[in-house]
Amino acid sequence: MNKKILSLVLACMMALVACCAMAETLTVSAWDPNFNIPALEAAAADYKVEHPDFELVINTVSGSSDVELAMTTAGSSGDYSTLSDIVLFQDHFIQRYVADYPDAWQSLEGADINWDDFGAEKLSYSTINGVHYGVPVDNGTAIFAYRVDILEQCGYTLADVTGITWDRFIEIGEDVWAKTGKYLLSMDGSGNDLPYMMLQAEGLSQFKDGEPFIAENEAMVQIISKLVEMIQKNILFLSNDWTGYTDGSIMGDQVAGVMNGNWIIPTISQVADNSGKWEITTLPTLTGAEGYAANGGSSLYITANCKNPDLAKDFLAKTFGGSTKTYDAALRNGGVITCCISAGQSDVYKEGVPFFNGQPIYSDIVEMGSHVAIVEQNDYHYTCRQYIGAAIQEILMGSDVATALQNAESQLRFAMDL
Amino acid sequence: MNKKKGMGLLARQQAAGWAFLTPATLLIFIMSFWPMVRAFIISFQTGSAANMKWAEPVTRNYQRMLQDKMFQTAMGNTFLYLIIQVPIMLVLAILLAQLLNNKDLKFRGLFRTMIFLPCATALVSYAIIFKSLFATQGLINSALVGIGILKENYNFLGNPASAKAVIIIALLWRWTGYNMVFFLSGLQNIEYSVYEAAKIDGANAWKTFWNITVPLLKPVIVMTGIMSINGTLQLFDESVNLTNGGPANTTITMSHYIYNNSLGQGVANFGYASALSFIVFILVAVLAAINLKVGDSRD
Repeated sequence: MNKKILSLVLACMMALVACCAMAETLTVSAWDPNFNIPALEAAAADYKVEHPDFELVINTVSGSSDVELAMTTAGSSGDYSTLSDIVLFQDHFIQRYVADYPDAWQSLEGADINWDDFGAEKLSYSTINGVHYGVPVDNGTAIFAYRVDILEQCGYTLADVTGITWDRFIEIGEDVWAKTGKYLLSMDGSGNDLPYMMLQAEGLSQFKDGEPFIAENEAMVQIISKLVEMIQKNILFLSNDWTGYTDGSIMGDQVAGVMNGNWIIPTISQVADNSGKWEITTLPTLTGAEGYAANGGSSLYITANCKNPDLAKDFLAKTFGGSTKTYDAALRNGGVITCCISAGQSDVYKEGVPFFNGQPIYSDIVEMGSHVAIVEQNDYHYTCRQYIGAAIQEILMGSDVATALQNAESQLRFAMDL
Repeated sequence: MNKKKGMGLLARQQAAGWAFLTPATLLIFIMSFWPMVRAFIISFQTGSAANMKWAEPVTRNYQRMLQDKMFQTAMGNTFLYLIIQVPIMLVLAILLAQLLNNKDLKFRGLFRTMIFLPCATALVSYAIIFKSLFATQGLINSALVGIGILKENYNFLGNPASAKAVIIIALLWRWTGYNMVFFLSGLQNIEYSVYEAAKIDGANAWKTFWNITVPLLKPVIVMTGIMSINGTLQLFDESVNLTNGGPANTTITMSHYIYNNSLGQGVANFGYASALSFIVFILVAVLAAINLKVGDSRD
C-alpha cells in the first residue's frame, strides 16, 4: 500500500516537473537545416541568456509543403493539437491560410515589436486586415549574381550589366554563349519565378484588383516574349525541376548569372572553386532602370495550439523582433539576411564577403530591399506562376504570345472561380 | 445435448460466420465506405475545409468540370496512358508467361523472379530512378550519345511527347511482371493433354496459342484488364515523382490533378476535388462493366 502511495506521489511530482518544464518550452516547425534552422537556433541561444529555463524544440520537416499540409489537415479537422506552437510559413501562402483557417492562428497583437523597423514589402504579406500575424525571419530581396570572371573574359564588367534593359542583356547573353558556352541565366521550369520578379521590378503584379492581369498587361507580354527569346538563343537555361536548377545549372557550373531571392546565395556558395568570382547587382528592366524585386521568404507564426502565447510573443519580439545578436548569428551560421532595418546596420553586415570578391553583399541586399515596390499579392500566386509557365511552353512549341497568355489568363480565372 | 434450446446447429454456424465477418465489415465500413459517403456529400459543397457551404447551385462543382481545360488535359493524358500502355503490357505479359511456362526452359525460376522483381520496388523509388535515368545528363542519354543514336543530350522529361513516353516505359517496366504472374498461374491450370491433342490434330504453335491458350485464359485476361484499367485511371506516383506533371502540366494525370486541388499548391479546394474523384469513380465503374461484358463468354 505504502509503495502505491509513494509511486502516486512520485508520479504527481513528475507531472509537476513536466508542467514546469513545459511552461518555458516552445516547439517550432521549420525546414531548411542550412538556412532557417540555424537562424532559429541562434534566436533560442539569444533568448536563453535572459531566460535560462527557456527551451526551443525545433521540429525539422523536409520542406515548406509539410508545414502547409499539417495546417491543412489540422484546419480541416479542427484538431490543432498536432501543430507546433510556432511554424515557419511561406509568405506567398499565408494570406490564404489565414483566410481559410482563421481559428488555426493567433495574431501578434500586443507583442512588443517596432513594426516600422521592418521592410514594408515584407510585412505586406504577414499583415492581414491590418493585424500582424507573422514575424519576418529572412528577406526575399532578389539579386542578380554574375560570374565576373566570365563577364571579363567576354569583355564586360559588372557596371556593364547594371541598370541595363533586357534587350541589352540578351545581346550580352548571346556574346557570353558564343564565347564561353555558358548560359547567362537559368530558371526552374516547374517553378517559373522569373516572370514574377521581372514584373515586380517594373512595379507591376500579375494581379490587379483581385483579378488576373496577364494578357492585357503590356509589361507581362514583353517579359514573356523576352524570356522565350532568351531560351531560344541559349541565354536562359530552363531546367525541368528545382534540383535541375540548383544542382544542375548553378552548382553544375552551367551558368554565368543567377537571378533569384537572396536565399539562393548558399546554393551559389556550394561551389568552393568559384570563390571570389561572383558579384551581385540589381536586376535588368524593360526601361533600363535598376530593378528591385523580392521572391520567396517566410515568417514565423503562432498557431492555435500554442498554450503560452505570451511566451511565444515575447520570444519572437526579443529575437527576430530586432535583436542584432540573433540576426548576426543567423547571418553567420545560416546566411539568413534580415529585413529588419536596424539589425541590418550591424558591423557583421558591413563585412566584405570573400566568396563575392570582397563585396559587402549583405548590407547591399538590405539596401536593395528598401527599394522593392509593394505590388498586389494574391492567394493564387503559385497557380498563376504555373499557368504562366505553361504559356511559355506553349509559345516554345509554336503558339503566339498573345494566344498563350490569353489561355493562361482564362485558365487562371477558371481556377479562381471568376 | 442442447441445454438451452435456443439455436440449432445451422443457426449457430451462421452466427459464428457473422461474428467473424463483423469486425472486418465494420472496419471496411468506417474506413472505406463512410469516407466515400462523406466525399460524396462534400462534392456538393464549396469553401475552405474549415467552413464548407453548400454550393450554389448544388451541382456547381460538377458543372464546373465541363469548363475545366486542365481536367480535360489530365483526362486525355490518363486515357492516352491507358490506351497505349495497357494493351502493350498485357500482350507482353502473356507472351512472357507463355515463354516461361515452357517445361524445357532452363533457369525458369530465375527468369520468372527477374521479370517479377520490378514489382517489388516501391512506386516512389522506381519513379525517381527512372527520372535520374532519363535526365538530360542521365544514363540513357550518355548511352544513346555513346553509341551514336543521339547527337547531343536530349531533354526527355522537358518535352511533352517524350515525357509521356518515359512514363509509359516506366509503367511497362513496373507492371508487366506483375501481370505475367497471373497469366503463369492461369497457364498452369490448362491441362497439358489439351495441347497434346492439338499437336496430334496438327495445329502449329500460333494456332494453339490463339485457339487454346487465349480462350482458356479469358477469365485471367478480363481480371488483369480490369485491374490495369483501374490502376491506370488512378495513376498518381509516376506523374508526381517522375515528371511532376510537367513540362507545364502536359503529363499530369487525373489523380495528380485531384491532389493538386486538395492538398497541393495550398489551394485546398476539397469540394471540387471530391467531385473530380467521383467522376474517376464512375469512369472506373463504367470501364470495368464494359470489360466484364466483353469478357463474358456466356451466350
